Amino acid sequence: MAAHSAIHIERINKSYGDFRAVSDLSFAVQHGEIFALLGPNGAGKSTTIRMILDIIQPDSGRIAVFGAPLTDAARNRIGYLPEERGLYKSVPVLEMLVYLGRLKGLSGSEAKKRGLALLERFELAEYARKKVSDLSKGMQQKVQFAVTILHEPDLIIIDEPFSGLDPVNRLVIKNLLLEFRQRGGAVVMSTHQMNQVEEMADRMLMISRGQQKLYGPVDDIRRQFALHAIIVQGSGDWSALPGVVRVEPGSNGRDGVTLHLAEKTTADDVLAEIARSRNTRIEKFELAIPSLEDIFIRVAGKDGGQ
Amino acid sequence: MNSIGAVFQYELWRNVRRKGYLFTTFGLPVIIFLLMLAANALSSLTQQDNADIAQQFDFGAIKAAGYVDQSGLFATVPPALADVLTRYPDEAAARAAMQSGAIQVFYVIAADYLTSGEVTQHVPGFSIDLLNSGPIDQLVYSTLAPNASPAALLRLNNPANFQEFNLERSSDAGAQNEDSDFLLVYVFSLVFLMALFITNGYLMQSVIEEKETRLIEILMTSVRPVQLLAGKILALSTLGIFQIVVWMGALLLAVTLAGSLPVFATATALLNVQFPLAMLPVILLYFILGYLFFAAIYSAIGAISSSIREGPQYAAFLTIPAVIPFYFFPMFIETPNATLPVAMSIFPITAPIAMMMRLTLTTVPPLELLLSLGLLALSVGLVIWLAGRMFRVQTLLAGTTPSLRDLPRLLRG
Repeated sequence: MAAHSAIHIERINKSYGDFRAVSDLSFAVQHGEIFALLGPNGAGKSTTIRMILDIIQPDSGRIAVFGAPLTDAARNRIGYLPEERGLYKSVPVLEMLVYLGRLKGLSGSEAKKRGLALLERFELAEYARKKVSDLSKGMQQKVQFAVTILHEPDLIIIDEPFSGLDPVNRLVIKNLLLEFRQRGGAVVMSTHQMNQVEEMADRMLMISRGQQKLYGPVDDIRRQFALHAIIVQGSGDWSALPGVVRVEPGSNGRDGVTLHLAEKTTADDVLAEIARSRNTRIEKFELAIPSLEDIFIRVAGKDGGQ
Repeated sequence: MNSIGAVFQYELWRNVRRKGYLFTTFGLPVIIFLLMLAANALSSLTQQDNADIAQQFDFGAIKAAGYVDQSGLFATVPPALADVLTRYPDEAAARAAMQSGAIQVFYVIAADYLTSGEVTQHVPGFSIDLLNSGPIDQLVYSTLAPNASPAALLRLNNPANFQEFNLERSSDAGAQNEDSDFLLVYVFSLVFLMALFITNGYLMQSVIEEKETRLIEILMTSVRPVQLLAGKILALSTLGIFQIVVWMGALLLAVTLAGSLPVFATATALLNVQFPLAMLPVILLYFILGYLFFAAIYSAIGAISSSIREGPQYAAFLTIPAVIPFYFFPMFIETPNATLPVAMSIFPITAPIAMMMRLTLTTVPPLELLLSLGLLALSVGLVIWLAGRMFRVQTLLAGTTPSLRDLPRLLRG
């Protein structure tokens, strides 16, 4: 795998008339990582993706894909699944896969071979000759995913990968994406399902009103937003502990209570006090790191949502 | 180029299997051929049933008539006339029968009928309804025709084929049968328009479908809009031309198989027309330019339409003018070099049809031809450029039809 980033974006801007869709945005996506592109509706995610894919061009700034401006050959190394899915309704599934594979540079026979293998993997082999319109919504979603990876891309850009899928198929797609990352592929995933980002993404970019708000490894960002508090589960009078200024029951559906600490008190201090105390017993002790959903709401909410 | 090839192959394969295309390309000629055969069979059946009455004359209000034959040529009444016509030995018997009401009228066939053709009709009083020579015409025809040769019978049924010499034609082209000219132009233009509208309709549908299903966004990551447009136009044009070839081939086959049958006489005449072969390359050029012109218009309409119902409505506005020359067919036939036919053969939208008509009917001055071709070629360039402007990412990705106010912005790009 080459040393350059899968995607490298430097200070891109895009306006539609007076509306500034993307403003001075820079980020990079590395090979072998799942990168989450987050933001409220209308934040500029789709515009950014379309600029990466050279469907639309930025007003200014530079975009490099696989180390260079996007060429037709590099284009064929990308798999794209937009939010608004589309398939030819009256065309047999395999025939459509072969056509879209051919447009990505595969020969007809290779596209057919790979198409059949993917349909087999998605348990859709028996529908290969059926029209797309005969398939359920979930099946069509899987066919869409097959279209995205048919040509074995090095970069997958996928908008809401799990929408419309049942838990079983969600797991199938999730495992495929994780496998893809393991093989060194890069995934750009735009989603509103924050739990999936926490579970799968290595790094993330959050934009709002076309501007960068958060950028970096998911764990680091969550830690940045860590409260000066700890979450404990067990029994005892938590308010009696030195350095605890407030006790809050539960937090975002989690078990236990949140102990907000005095400015100079550390988590280690509280842990030592609990160990010394005869009136408290703990089953769980952890730093109060907010969920991505909390962070999203906090950041997007500050911008007034969109 | 590979992408254009992939789009071309896919669109070709997809559209050639459409039920509508298969029906219009292969089914329609077969059905027309079978209908003509059926009409022929029906007609021969009728002829056999009335073997002695090859031609049926109108008797008007006459239900019962009599005749007196002084020529000796019509001794017996043909069976098919027995209900209507009765032979009397002399005028007195016939008059008595008329006065008694047994017959309404009677005819007297003169002794020198064969040379003079003289027949006198006697009626009871003045009645326009009864002044009719039908029964006696029928008697003469039925009695004399069976003895005539087939060639003589053909002349009896169709006494004259007028040949008209058009002084506007160059002498080497020779005189041509006007009916056949008319047919040739009509059939050629009709076939051209049918193929044009059918296949370009598919072209427009295909663009709108990709927009409507949002598949266009995925396609845009694999193929440039202009490549997609080129692949589609090439594929659908191929299907259009193939359709025309099949129809023309079917016509040829029909004439070869059944050209001798009376119902195929028109088709046979069509193929026997002395086609101005020297004009064939020019006609083909008009055909191709005309096809590209409308293909570009249809794809541009597809690009700006947001639903499959919307496109044909816009298309109708732009394609109806192409058919206008048909409404002036008689004028083209009578005076192909009059102002209106000339103007229509120069105006790009009507030029493909109008000029094809004129080229088969008259000798078009080279300057007019050059002007018309030049304008058409320029217009083709312009509409392809327009289609290219419309066939852009912003338009294709938009879920709505642009308003008239948006058009200047789209054209600027």
